[in-house]
Amino acid sequence: MELLNLTLGQFLITFGGVAAVAVALYLLDRTKKRHVVSTLRFWVTPGQPAPVSRNRRIQQKVSFLMQLLGMLLLMLAIAEFQFGGGFSKRRDHVLVLDSSAWMSAALPGGAKGTTLMDAARANALGWLRAVPPTDRVLVVRADGLATPVTAWEVDHRKILRAILETTPGSTALNLSQNLEFARDMQRRSGAESGEIVYSGPGRISAREATSPNLPEMPAFRVLNVDDAVENCGIRSVGARHSESKQGVWEVLVRARNYGRRTRTVSITLNYGHAPQGNHTLDLPPGEDKETLFEVNSRAAGILEARLYLQGSPGDGFAADNYASLELPEQRTLHVVVYTDQPAALKPALESDPRVRAEYRPKSAYTPDNDGLVVLDRFRPETAPKGKAFWIDPPSDRSPITVKERVEHPEGLRWVPDQPLTQGLRARNSQIESTSVLQTQSDDIRVAEIDQGAVMMARGDTLVAGFNPFAGSMRYELSVPILVGNILRWASLDTFRDIDVGTQSAGAVSSPLPTTVDRKSVKVLTETGTILPFNIRDRAVQFFAGEPTRVRVLSGTAERVYSLTLPEMWDAKWTTPKDARRGIPAWNDTLRRNQILWPWLAILGIGLLVAEWVLYGSYRLSRLHVVARREEAA
Amino acid sequence: MANEPLLDRRFLERLERLTIHWQRSFNGLVGGHNRSRFSGGGQEFLDHRNYHQGDDLRAVNWRAFMRLDKMFLKMFQVEPRVPVHILLDTSESMSVDPAKFYYARKLAASLSYVGLVRLDMIELLPFAGELHKGRTVGGGRQRFSPLATFLEELTSGGSTNFMKVSRQFLNEFPQRGLVIIISDFLGEENYEKAIQFLADAGNELCLIQLWTDDERSPSWSGEYDLVEAETNAKLHIHVDSDAKRRYTEEFDKHAAAIRTLALRNSGRYAGIPTSMPLDDAIFVELVRTRSIA
Repeated sequence: MELLNLTLGQFLITFGGVAAVAVALYLLDRTKKRHVVSTLRFWVTPGQPAPVSRNRRIQQKVSFLMQLLGMLLLMLAIAEFQFGGGFSKRRDHVLVLDSSAWMSAALPGGAKGTTLMDAARANALGWLRAVPPTDRVLVVRADGLATPVTAWEVDHRKILRAILETTPGSTALNLSQNLEFARDMQRRSGAESGEIVYSGPGRISAREATSPNLPEMPAFRVLNVDDAVENCGIRSVGARHSESKQGVWEVLVRARNYGRRTRTVSITLNYGHAPQGNHTLDLPPGEDKETLFEVNSRAAGILEARLYLQGSPGDGFAADNYASLELPEQRTLHVVVYTDQPAALKPALESDPRVRAEYRPKSAYTPDNDGLVVLDRFRPETAPKGKAFWIDPPSDRSPITVKERVEHPEGLRWVPDQPLTQGLRARNSQIESTSVLQTQSDDIRVAEIDQGAVMMARGDTLVAGFNPFAGSMRYELSVPILVGNILRWASLDTFRDIDVGTQSAGAVSSPLPTTVDRKSVKVLTETGTILPFNIRDRAVQFFAGEPTRVRVLSGTAERVYSLTLPEMWDAKWTTPKDARRGIPAWNDTLRRNQILWPWLAILGIGLLVAEWVLYGSYRLSRLHVVARREEAA
Repeated sequence: MANEPLLDRRFLERLERLTIHWQRSFNGLVGGHNRSRFSGGGQEFLDHRNYHQGDDLRAVNWRAFMRLDKMFLKMFQVEPRVPVHILLDTSESMSVDPAKFYYARKLAASLSYVGLVRLDMIELLPFAGELHKGRTVGGGRQRFSPLATFLEELTSGGSTNFMKVSRQFLNEFPQRGLVIIISDFLGEENYEKAIQFLADAGNELCLIQLWTDDERSPSWSGEYDLVEAETNAKLHIHVDSDAKRRYTEEFDKHAAAIRTLALRNSGRYAGIPTSMPLDDAIFVELVRTRSIA
């Protein structure tokens, strides 16, 4: 025996309250009241006893019991009293509906346009029809994240709408996290736990497949969706500057065969809508292959990669056949060197294709500058505009005051922890002579000896009191590192290490160089908003739930992620043996149970009517009618 | 209610058409249309007598004085009227519902006005445990105002003692006439004997019984401590439909007994619930019972 609508406590409290009110009203009706009348003589009929006082005593006990019994039956009807049946207990179920990117794949054997999502929704609706109307259901959309889309709901229309409005997302399924969330919600609901139901094909990542971390679930049901479809797709697209060819991008496209047989695919690459090449690959089942394209362009543009599956059957999942990424413009730094010995500087400057060096005699000096000006032991009348590197300027005409001139100094050392000395570790570099510079508080000291600073930056001016391209120092490793640092100081954006790649949306891990200061790391979306991230195991980790472009800035490096590919899976989940399968028949069981509440309601109303006829106003009014008839006769 | 005049002007104008009606012929008195042989301040000349000091000089026959040089007094015949006694019950039971006492005073005022218009002598006598000091008026409608003021200032209280009132009345007003009793006839149980004394003394009775609807058919039910207004006697009772039905039956028997008493003595009876408009009470009920015409 059980009550579907109310707990036993609720029922007892409600009925107790109703019964108490009925008794109180009954006794209140008989509470003594004082009333002043003109005479008492007519109240006592001569020869007849006076009407008896009935204060605070239950009269007509049968009538009163009939009233209480009638109300009890009506309360039982409202509470939906039922005999037996553990099925009729109210429970809280969680429906975990797979909405990963894979759910937009075509359903094998289904009608054209039918997807795995349609099958999962149909299974979920079938399960919902079996759920007893008193049970509560929470719908969770499951992809990379667990997203509840309803509250604990008994209204099947709202649950139905939530199921029908579920569409495939852009991330892969994180089943463990979703099931853990579902179980946690069940624990917090306070009611008796029902089932946790997963509806979907169960495609998970390799990491999750190797270390499944499913929670303890008392009742777990799987509504499986068959997803045996042929699919080949682009796994990733990466682009980087060619180290050997100036103005050339090396584009690496990686494709994977998710099917069960070897397939041939053709990959075409377009840059700014211009074809860049077409490569054909034979992909064994479950394997990746890469192909390299070269794109010759300095201008910024959109790089698009498309994959075509040859032969039959066709590709069942089109979302991973296309990827695009935005290549930035390849910038160069114009460096004008005023020197009488260009041969000494050329090896250092021309090693980087991003430097466009121009060597001029001192007589051709002009102050115009659109990049960097290098003045080799030379002081012009007019200082150059913008960034300038002064090499051993004359002591009397140096842009920074010279304190003294030191011959054969010893102990030249680089001041650490600043961009201009990044990577410089050499000590006691030998120089023939140097000027010791007068420093101020805002100056950046780059190199110094015991007598003072010998190389320093002040605003746009960088002055070296010695010539690093002369003497024995010109052969040291410090010189090209110093030149590289000076070039970055002159134009950081030009020499930023840009790595462009396409990945899938979802959780992204970007490697972080060990030398980078963690405080300099920023993760920005294409709109410029800051994306939350975490640094763990020398990698920047962030999550993008939908296709977007994300820039990861770290020191002098920049990585651009075009997250246009759907996040893909690596493994098929193996359903636990103890999991229930298919759609249950709860409602049928429930329907077989006799529904008692209408009969209880009818019986309760009948009792109340009978009480009214036998003891209530109905009988008295009939007596009055009879009395009037007798009077009339 | 207390600030309003008992009767408005329009209602008074309507009352002027009516006449208090009685059936009996009283010894020594005649109706309004007969002339008395007693001298007095009437309109018709009766005789002359010698003038005595203190007589009203306006009645001296100055022509006879001019001829005879002696003062004679002209004597006129009086017009004797059957006295109309209106006994108004002011006991506590009349004000259990204040509307009933107010209704009674309005009814008394209406009957008084009808009598005054017809030049009847009106004796308005409030009573409860005894006969209170009343007001005697006569001589036309212009005397109505002090009577109305008297009625407006009248208060209720005390318990009814019909026997004592009857004896007191017969002592103070030996002249027979019409006795109109406006009362609920509740309170004292042996009222019949007392009223019978009045009839036996030669008075014609007109009994007007007033009641409120709640007095005849109580609307309340349940457990009650009933307190009688005049005696403070208490009765603990459970009032249900059956009890109320029996109560109404007893009340109707009581009204029938009053009616029988009136008719047995060639009088008239009118039972008037206070829910009946005063218009209907005067122009329908009292006219129907031939108390007024």
